[in-house]
Amino acid sequence: MTASATLASEPSVAAQAVRDVIRNSFEQAAPLRISGGSNWLDAGRPVTAENNLSLAEHSGVIDYVPGDLTITVSAGATLREIERLTAEHGQWFPLDPHGSEDGTIGATIASGSFGPLAHSFGRARDLVLGVEFVTGDGKVVRGGGRVVKNVAGFDLVRLVTGSWGTIGAITEVTLRLYSRPPLPVSLALTVPDGQPALAHRIKSLLSLPSSPLAVELVDTEVAGLTGLPCNKTLLVALGGNRAAVAAQMDSIAALGGMTEIFPEVWRRLRVVDDIPAGSHPYDHPTPNIVLRVSALPARISDLWTTLEKAIEQIPGARMHATPGLGIARCILPPSAGFEGAHAVTEACLNTTIVCERMPRELWPLISPTVVGDKVSQRIKRAFDPRNILNPGILGR
Amino acid sequence: MSDTALAEKLVEIVGARFVLERESDLLVYNSDGLPGYRRKPRLAVFPGSREETVAVVRALAASGTSFVPRGAGTGLSGGALADDVVLLGLHRLKRVLSIDHENLRAVVEPGVVNLSLNRTVAPLGLLYAPDPSSEAACTIGGNIAENAGGPHCLKYGVTLNHVIAITAILPDGEIVVLGNPEGEIDGYDLRGAFVGSEGCFGVALDVTVRLTRKPAALRTMLADFVSVDDAARVTSAIIASGIVPAALEFMDSPTIKVVESSVYAAGYPADAAAVLLIEVDGTEAGVNADRDAIREICISGGARTVKVAQNDAERTRLWQGRKKAFGAMGRMAPHLVVQDAVIPRTKLAEVLARISRIAAEHRVTVCNVFHAGDGNLHPNIPYNADDPDEAARVHLSMGEIMRACVDAGGSITGEHGVGLDKIGYIELIFSPESLNAMCKLREVFDPDHRSNPGKVVPIHSCQEWRATPAGRSSEEHGELAGAAST
Ligand SMILES: Cc1cc2nc3c(=O)[nH]c(=O)nc-3n(C[C@H](O)[C@H](O)[C@H](O)COP(=O)(O)OP(=O)(O)OC[C@H]3O[C@@H](n4cnc5c(N)ncnc54)[C@H](O)[C@@H]3O)c2cc1C
Repeated sequence: MTASATLASEPSVAAQAVRDVIRNSFEQAAPLRISGGSNWLDAGRPVTAENNLSLAEHSGVIDYVPGDLTITVSAGATLREIERLTAEHGQWFPLDPHGSEDGTIGATIASGSFGPLAHSFGRARDLVLGVEFVTGDGKVVRGGGRVVKNVAGFDLVRLVTGSWGTIGAITEVTLRLYSRPPLPVSLALTVPDGQPALAHRIKSLLSLPSSPLAVELVDTEVAGLTGLPCNKTLLVALGGNRAAVAAQMDSIAALGGMTEIFPEVWRRLRVVDDIPAGSHPYDHPTPNIVLRVSALPARISDLWTTLEKAIEQIPGARMHATPGLGIARCILPPSAGFEGAHAVTEACLNTTIVCERMPRELWPLISPTVVGDKVSQRIKRAFDPRNILNPGILGR
Repeated sequence: MSDTALAEKLVEIVGARFVLERESDLLVYNSDGLPGYRRKPRLAVFPGSREETVAVVRALAASGTSFVPRGAGTGLSGGALADDVVLLGLHRLKRVLSIDHENLRAVVEPGVVNLSLNRTVAPLGLLYAPDPSSEAACTIGGNIAENAGGPHCLKYGVTLNHVIAITAILPDGEIVVLGNPEGEIDGYDLRGAFVGSEGCFGVALDVTVRLTRKPAALRTMLADFVSVDDAARVTSAIIASGIVPAALEFMDSPTIKVVESSVYAAGYPADAAAVLLIEVDGTEAGVNADRDAIREICISGGARTVKVAQNDAERTRLWQGRKKAFGAMGRMAPHLVVQDAVIPRTKLAEVLARISRIAAEHRVTVCNVFHAGDGNLHPNIPYNADDPDEAARVHLSMGEIMRACVDAGGSITGEHGVGLDKIGYIELIFSPESLNAMCKLREVFDPDHRSNPGKVVPIHSCQEWRATPAGRSSEEHGELAGAAST
């Protein structure tokens, strides 16, 4: 597999097909619902569109040179496929968003999704090197490139990452890969009751001179659903050379209450949203209400304790957090409705709340728009002048 | 507005000492760190506070005047200069506004010098990771605008990965907060769009940066080679091995010789064809294992010796040669072109060989000193610009080197930016439609191209956009515009 000569070259096959669809919709001002694997279409504000533009069929690998630790794939490639291919070379793309591994890379980047590994590898914005996308007026645009460092041109990569398809339909991405850490180890740490004790526990873990791949806090419900004893628990993933892993394990063990656990826990954590309360982990998904609450990382124990109180009366409610990033993620059953979501937003006043999924009628009440500011409005108008790409998904 | 009237207006805001009008006073602002480009500003103004900066930008907006934000002027792409503009110098805004040890972040004004931020946070056991070799002079504002890199960005990421939020004043005088200083970003990543915008999107007034804990342990090594090819292959092999060194820097023989004959002599073997300066960091136990693994790769890849720094003084000395290499080259000839391009890391040996053929053909000396771990090349050429024949040969070589990097699947700039210098090459890697899109993004922030005019995207790419039917309909389409006021 070799790189095409220059990036100024022709649009990809996927882009040519997508361009035709979008041009047609542009002419008719007919809105499009952009989809990938269609596993997560209930995320974001409701979109009203007659036509669906699916990227799922455009799924090939365009370029993968393991020695460069970069891969270029069509937007429809699934996370599972990327995982399989890179694993053959002892590598991985360290982005582990919640949800199905059959999710496509295009949707993952468009939604700026992430999971526990963001603790050490960053989020989509830190891992995407280049994109190709088709704008709302049918232009095929590339930003970034295929190399790991690049400042040529204004940054369309960061612009389109996390834009939920409202700026363009992503047709191809180039990703930064890493070598798979040679000696992965997963640990569980007990968590004492009470906010001060939690704060102390998190702080002592995060200030060790170690660099865990992931640190995640789970409540009793999530712990149970991932196969652990039903206790509030801190999960830690380590990796690296033998000496480094051993030294890190020693320092964590010195904090007390540590046990080694099966790595399968991480995979179960990724699908914990879709498990209806009280049922077997692999039952059919029911859409839940999912809200991410974020603040300065040092406030996490505060936030956690507040949220625990806010949701304790809601049967089946559960949560987990990434303390290093200051993000707590609450999952409520759909039956919690407005009161449930409102309880969370009321309790966490000086924080940022990102809503992932809610029943459609809640959006106008809880989070009508995130693109109401002047700059965002101008961006939308410049890249999707007729408002045909996932209209309304980020609000008006 | 006439120059005099404008100067009077600006003097009212910042005081007479901080407005320059005379040509002789403006001379130093005619160029940046890349002296090949000269442009004449009308005036220069140096606000001393955020309030003054805001007032200056608003006065410029009111009179429709173009301006160029400028930090320390160490840029290497002809970025902080333009004809007939007001040069807006930000180096007096140099306060570190807050340091939040617990949350690992600091809020700084744009004129804070990179190294001085590092000196301020060092006693807390913290560092600001992006470390351009110009760290002793360049400003955080300039770093943000160029998305600056540095040797340790191999492991820690470039400026982009260390910026949490930016308060900026748009060219029309409106103040906006890009990003979220205290939580996740919901909606467009406007902060990401601003980083690397080369002064074309407005002026950064304050920046919330991420701080990093100092690693517990470091190992710094120097591997020397009798063949450039071997050094290049070893670089690729280290990267492919999965170890992520904190830094992996390459210097070739001409560079080693210049450094060793300068006051920055670092003890590099003068007869080596190339050296690799490699650093690993992490836990005490982990770095020893990485050091051993890397030493093994170097030796089996043809390294003559691998020397490990035994203490801080030795480490500092090894680094000094690398960090001062550009300065040392400055002594070789009256002028120096500093080049910046990126290639895939598996192509190092191939592209370096091609560069050396290009140099021989055009009879120029290329000194390679670069961030090898990232594939970020700096093929620099010392020369005498007053010799037209030599200047022409240098120019030709640079063009061919750029093409070689692009042919290898690379980029025309990895950290110095496009500015004026690379604008002629940008069409090698981006289609007209992509450049149109970039221009549209610029116009979101700066519809009249008043902030650092004429940079990054060639003007004709923007005009082409305006002429398309879709472009016109975007002016007519009022639906979203109405929503903007709610
Ligand atoms: C010896 C030497 C070594 C170098 N090594 C490196 C290196 O290792 N890595 C690297 O990346 N670069 C390097 N550089 C290049 C340069 O130092 C960086 O690009 C640096 O970020 C520029 O900072 P400055 O303050 O000097 O910016 P300036 O040169 O003053 O300006 C650069 C750009 O930033 C814009 N700008 C400045 N301040 C603001 C602001 N507040 N708001 C908006 N825009 C602004 C300007 O308009 C201009 O476009 C080196 C330069 C030299 C001379």
